[in-house]
Formats: sequence, C-alpha cells, structure tokens
Amino acid sequence: MKVVIVGAGEVGFHIASHLAYENKDVVVIDRNPDAIRRITENIDVQVINGSGSSPMVLEEAGIRDAEILLAVTNSDETNLVACMMANLISPSTKKLARIRQADYDRYHENFRHNAPHIDTIINPEVEVVKTIESLLSVPGAVDVGEFANGRVKFVGVRLDRDAGLHGGRLSELSSRIGKQAPLIAAVVRDEELIIPRGTDRLMEGDLVYFISEEDKLSDALQVFNKRSRQLKRALIVGGGRIGFRLATRLELKNIHTKIVEKNPLRCKELAENLNKTVVLHGDGSDQGLLNEENIRDMDAVITLTNDEETNILVSLLAKRLGGRKTITKISKFSYFPLMTTIGLERVVSPRLSAINTILQHIRRGKVLSAISIKGEKAEVMEAIALETSDIVNRPLKQVSFPKGALLTGIIRQDAVFIPSGESIVLPGDRIIIFAQRQAIPKIEKILSVKLEYF
Amino acid sequence: MRWRYILYIVGILVLFLGLTMAFPLMVVMIYQDQDPGPLIGAMVATVLFGATMAIGFKSPRTEYISPREGMAIVAVGWTAVGLFGALPFFLGCSQFTFVDAFFESVSGFTTTGSSILTQIEAVPRGLLFWRSFIQWLGGMGIIVLSVAILPFLGVGGMQLYKAEVPSPVVDKLKPRIRDTAMIMWKVYALISLAEVVLLLLGGMSLYDALCHTFTTMPTGGFSTKNASVAHFDSVYIDGVITVFMILAGINFSLHYQLLRGKTLAFWRDSECRFFLVTVLALTLVVSWNIHGAVYKGIGEALRYGAFQVASIVTTTGYATADYEQWPAMAQLILLLCMFLGASAGSTGGGMKCLRIMLCFKFCYKELFGLIHPHAVTHIKIGGKTVSEDVMRSILGFLALYMGLFAFCSVLLAGLGVDFVTAFSAVAATIGNIGPGFGMVGPVENFAQIPVLGKWLLIWCMLLGRLEIYTVIILLVPEFWRK
Repeated sequence: MKVVIVGAGEVGFHIASHLAYENKDVVVIDRNPDAIRRITENIDVQVINGSGSSPMVLEEAGIRDAEILLAVTNSDETNLVACMMANLISPSTKKLARIRQADYDRYHENFRHNAPHIDTIINPEVEVVKTIESLLSVPGAVDVGEFANGRVKFVGVRLDRDAGLHGGRLSELSSRIGKQAPLIAAVVRDEELIIPRGTDRLMEGDLVYFISEEDKLSDALQVFNKRSRQLKRALIVGGGRIGFRLATRLELKNIHTKIVEKNPLRCKELAENLNKTVVLHGDGSDQGLLNEENIRDMDAVITLTNDEETNILVSLLAKRLGGRKTITKISKFSYFPLMTTIGLERVVSPRLSAINTILQHIRRGKVLSAISIKGEKAEVMEAIALETSDIVNRPLKQVSFPKGALLTGIIRQDAVFIPSGESIVLPGDRIIIFAQRQAIPKIEKILSVKLEYF
Repeated sequence: MRWRYILYIVGILVLFLGLTMAFPLMVVMIYQDQDPGPLIGAMVATVLFGATMAIGFKSPRTEYISPREGMAIVAVGWTAVGLFGALPFFLGCSQFTFVDAFFESVSGFTTTGSSILTQIEAVPRGLLFWRSFIQWLGGMGIIVLSVAILPFLGVGGMQLYKAEVPSPVVDKLKPRIRDTAMIMWKVYALISLAEVVLLLLGGMSLYDALCHTFTTMPTGGFSTKNASVAHFDSVYIDGVITVFMILAGINFSLHYQLLRGKTLAFWRDSECRFFLVTVLALTLVVSWNIHGAVYKGIGEALRYGAFQVASIVTTTGYATADYEQWPAMAQLILLLCMFLGASAGSTGGGMKCLRIMLCFKFCYKELFGLIHPHAVTHIKIGGKTVSEDVMRSILGFLALYMGLFAFCSVLLAGLGVDFVTAFSAVAATIGNIGPGFGMVGPVENFAQIPVLGKWLLIWCMLLGRLEIYTVIILLVPEFWRK
C-alpha cells in the first residue's frame, strides 16, 4: 500500500513513522529542507523536497498509484489545493486533509461530495475538545478512548495504593474484589507496555488500561478506587480556538466555567460569544490571579495556551495551589515521556488526536476506529469481523492470534461481552483489539478479506 | 555505541559470506583440479565463526541505528569480510602468505583489482572463481545486498546503505530502503547476465565469461589470465568489455530508469553526460597520441586507446596493452583518469565525476563572485540547487582524498619503494583501479611491495571503496568518546 503524505511537521512525521514501521510504502513531501532531513535521518521513507500543492511534485511522488493522500501541512489552503490537484490527477486515491479553521466547518460536506472529494476532514481541535470532555467525565482516568459510538470505553487509570489491588495475580482479581473484574488489556510499567497474562501481578503505580461498557464504567472504576464526583467548576487557561470550543461545550453541560486569557482583544471577543462563562483578563501563570479566583475549589484546570511550557508550568502551579484535576495541552511529542515524571498525567495533544483519526482511516479491513496509546507503542482498534476473515465462526483458542495482540471485547447487536477462549466471533460482530505495534500488520491481515474471495 | 549490536550484525555478514563460499566449491567439484579440503575448511570456519558471533552477541531487533553505529558496522564489517574472504586463498594455495591473501581478498571486495599473483594461471580454478566472485559481491556492496535480503535491518538499513554506497547523495528509488537495495542488485544482476551472454557469443568459455563479467560489472579488474583481457586478443571481446566497463561506470539508478523505458535517461543526467563526453574526448586524445608512435593503424589505436581509457577511468584496471610503453601524454592522461573516476552511484571508484564537476562549478562561482561581489548565486546540477551541506562534504572529501593520497605515498616511498611506484600504487589502490605505473604497472604486480607497504595499501583500498569518511572516522578520537 502506498501513502503520500504532504507536510513533514509533527503529524506528518509521526504518521510516516507509524506507517513505515508497518512496511507500507510512504512518500513524504515538504518544502522545508530541514524537516525533510529530519525525516530521512529517522524514518525509512522516500522524501521529496517541494510544494505538496504542486501537481508536478505530486506526480513525482507517484500519486497515480497511491492509495491514500494525507494533506497535513500547517496551512489549510495548501492542504485543500493538494487534495484538489490529487483529485484531478488521480481520482481513485483516497484523500484525507487536516483543516482547522472553524470558517470551513460548514463546508466539510461540500468538500466531500463536490470537487476535491476529500474522504475525511480532520479537525484536530474538535477531536481534542472531545478528548478533554471524556477525560473530565471519567474520574481518575488519565487516558480515555471510545468505541461503538461511546457505548464501550477504553480507560487508563493509575493504580493507587489505597485500591488494594497491587501484588495480586490477575487471575485472582475477580475473587479478590468479589465480583466480575473488568478486563485488563494492558499495563504500562516504567514506560514499558505489557500485555498481561493471568499469572502477571499488578504493581502500585502501574498505568492500567481496561475496557468497559459505559453503564458499568462507574462499577469498574470503583474497583480501582476511583469514585466519581460531579464536575461543577472548571478553569480554562488560554482562550484560543480550543479554549473557546471547550467553554461552549461546558456551558451546555451547566458547568461553572472560568476562562483566563492574556490578550484583551481576544477577551472581548470571548465575552461577546460566551454567555455564562466568566472571562478573565490576565496571565494564567499569575499566582495571585489563580488564588483570587479560588483555584483550590476548582474541579478541573485545563491549560490550553499556545505555549506548551506555560501550560506545563500553569498546570503544576494549579496542582500546588490545590486544583483537583489538571489537563495539559502539549504539542511536542518529545515531552510526553516526561509528563508522568513531573506528575502531570492528563495530557492532550491536537497532533496526537489528528494522528488517531488518520490511523483509523488508513487501517485495512473494516476498521471503525483506532486509538494509539501512550508513546504510540500500541493501538486499540475497533473493527467489524468480516465473514471472510480468519477469526470468525470458530472458538478463539483455535484462532492463531499474533503475539502482542489481545481481543478485548466483542460487541454483538447491543450486548458487549468480554471473550474467553471458548467464545466465537460471528460475522458482523464488532471486535475490539488491543495490539502492540509489531503485531499490527498481522492483525490487519487477519481483519481484511482473504485473497481467494476476490 | 552499542558494540554488542554492531558485532551481531558483523557476525551475520560473516556467516553470510561463508555461505557464498559454496559457489567456488561448486567450481572445484566441476573441474576437480584442486583438493576441495582447504576450501571446505575455509567455508566451515567462516560459517562457524559468523554463527558464533551472531548467536553470542544476539541483540534485540532495533529500529534505530545511529549514523555513528552505521559507519562502525560498515567499517568493521568490511574488514571482517576481507579477513574471512582471504581464508580460501591462504589455505588453498601455497602462493599466498597471510598478508598476500588478505591483500588479494580486500583488493577483490573493494573492486580494486591489484594482485600479488605472478602466475595467475597456476592458481586452481576454484580460487580464481572466488577471486572474481568477491569482486562482484563487493561491487554493488555486501551491505547493500544484506539490506536487500535480510529483513531484520529495517529502518536502520538507511544508515548502513549511506555508509556504503559511493555517492555524496543517496537516490532513494523506492520508499523503502530495502526495495531500493533490491532494485540496485536486480539491475546489477541483469546487466551482468547480458554481459555473460555477449561474452559467450564471442567464443569465451562459460567459466571465463562468468569470471570476467564478475570483474567487469563491479569495475574490479581481476582476470583469470596472466595477460588479462589481452589473452583473448579479440576485437569483439575488447569491444564488449569496453562497453560494459562504461555501463558499470554510470549511476545505476539511471540504468533503472532506462530499463523502465526512459530512453533519454543517460543524456538528461548532467553527471552522466559529463562522464560520457569525458570518456569520448580522452579516448580520442589518447588514440591520437598513440597512433603512429605505438600503433600503425587508426583502428588499432582506437581499440587500445578506448579500452585503456575506459578501463582506467571507470577504475576497472584490465589491460590489453602495456601503457607504460605509450608516449608521456597518454600516460599522464591515464594517471589523471585514476583520480577522476566514474559516476557517483556506479560501481566505480576514484573521486567521482559528480564531485569533480561540482568542484569546477564551485570554483566558477567563486570567480563569478569576484566579478559581481553582490551576486546571489547557487550551485546547481540538473536544474536543482546543491545544498551547502552537500557542497561542504564534497570539498572536505576532495581535500581528505588528496591529503591521504599524499600522506600514504610519502609513507610508501619511505618504505623503500621508488618514486613512480609509490605515487601510482597509492593512486591505484585509493581509487580502486588496480594496476599503476612503474613496479606495479599493467604487466607487473604488487608482489614486490614490502609487507608493511601491503598493509598500507590494504587500508588505502578500504578508504577508497568506502569513500574515506566511513573509514577515517574510526581514527578520530571524538568518535570513541561517549
């Protein structure tokens, strides 16, 4: 499968490294020679130094035999033109574009059905707001993903001492808590990802990922001693596009929201467009201001300025002053591994959101969604089991599942259940698979249609 | 620096080399002119050693190889391969002392073609086949071959590829380095096949045709005959070999484009144009110079002139004539050809046309800047700007090349070798050509060089094949600092 990526920024870089790792043919186009050099030194892909909106460059990149075009430059216009040219040269290529300006929001459908025929428009800001909302709604969660339109949740929580679960084997978990335990899909310990077996033990401080149906989620969270408390007050630092979107969403949920913004003009704009939200003019890193606005009573502090160092510092400050939950926006991927160390667990990134959205569209077979988890070492995929796939109609223990992959859930009509070795996947079921990076190509093969059916 | 990982990869390379020793073994089985014992011994020793290293240093598959590690793998790998490639010579034939066997083997892998053999035809056919075959392996590159067929190198393959391929910039023909390496080897094998067929049509035996193809395509220059290609004394064979030497001196990505139907590929590429025009011009000048003085007929002068110019400029090093009997001008041109070399991305050695061309352009730009002090100029090649980085690395390369050449020839002269021999032996080994002038001329060989001199020249051959940086960097103290 050949993929052409226009734009070698963070998103382009990380998508390219994902795909190259899975042995796909990737061509990356960028105008900036430094960005190009960073790619050639780190990833095994072909690079072209040129403008991605130029038809000549696209032809040189082999757009004619490419299955997918990803337009992820910083400029919406370049992305649109790249898709347009690709549509002229090679109409059969699937096109994905990142378009961020809210002005274009109303025209997404037009782009899809008319001229550029962009199959998927990715607006990472919308995705980030969604992620923040789910992080706010699930208590104790440091990572949340949704499947089956939100009916199934995939949650990562930190295992505290007071949960009393550490040290026990996973197979004894249910008897220990006296009821059916949630299925633990993965454990991250010391930056290493483990797909646990029954004999593995949990340890204090582990990041535990589990799958749960939405209505059983609070039960599951109680197992980990994470009790829900209602979110009443939130403070947003940074009134940019994401801050504004989030504030409007929170208003709808009747959450008392304050938003701090440095730029007085922007403050005016925000005050005009927001109804119940309190707009504050000031610097989010100003301790006096935070105290004045009762930061210790806030249920959540969300830092969304454009400067990530400020975000980190404000979150740390808020924590110190007594804020309960902080969510920090980070763009630089190299900061991610450090965040746990400094005690900021809940981190969102527009780029990571964009990558997740793109991934689910690139996966072969009927993959409905895909979420890459911490540090991109693994992915959770939701897919439809095709009649022709290898996994259907026989007990799971007979299916040769690749190492490093786990089938964590089956959704049949409205029921969600956790599979055992005896379970059988029927055609049409939705399945949720947790897979480490090296297992993904094999998983894709299992999910896609067998050759003899063509 | 993960030395464990580096040694693991080197172990795999050695193991792999051991397996290829099955080919000369087959030749021995067919001709029965030699006791297969020593060869089997060499093969078993190499395979065992490689396997022990690979198992002993077994490391997890990594995604990332740093440029430093890449260079270490290539430099250490080539030395190890040269060492183990010498085993069949050392064990199989009494003409070889250890240093001679090592010299012959490195001369093979680096496609130099300098030999210490006085009586080539006295050596058993299996060994001569091995001698030719290692040139073929070394020509496109053993690392490139491993990148193509060993899947475990993955992303890190790029670093290794860069460290081995003789070119200032790497053309990636396909998105994945593995596919690119595969294409290069396929094109190489395909052109080799064509040459074998054409040589067979010229009346060569299959054995000679194979051996000569294995040394033409990598621009190596070992022959199975004492008199080199002159032994066959056929206009047709001279012609075929001349054409294939020139083909081998052209960037292989252009061959790939040609095979994909882009008929004008050679002409569109400015380096290739420069190379072809230079070869043609030098051939005419040399032929004119030797016409009358050495050869009576124009046809004869052209035949030997073209062959010798192609042989030296592509750094092959076959001989059909004793060019030391030629007039001074022709000899000097051949000497300069040793420095010029073939195209970047070809199997040839030398400084490479691309670098010389860019160096000229750089000089012109400087002159232009003196006339128009405010002019903003870029060095372009084929309409594309050459980045400052590339230009700097090229100038650095040329300086290092000349510096090392000077240093090594003084050193060699210090060992008691005469002026012309010292000068040309270093030029011929660092440029991977083969024969030089004086004591190491086309009708003589390197047997008379003192032992220390041979070690020095072995190092020069590796320097030339791996394009200086990869080898010389191991001598920089900074490289070893943590």
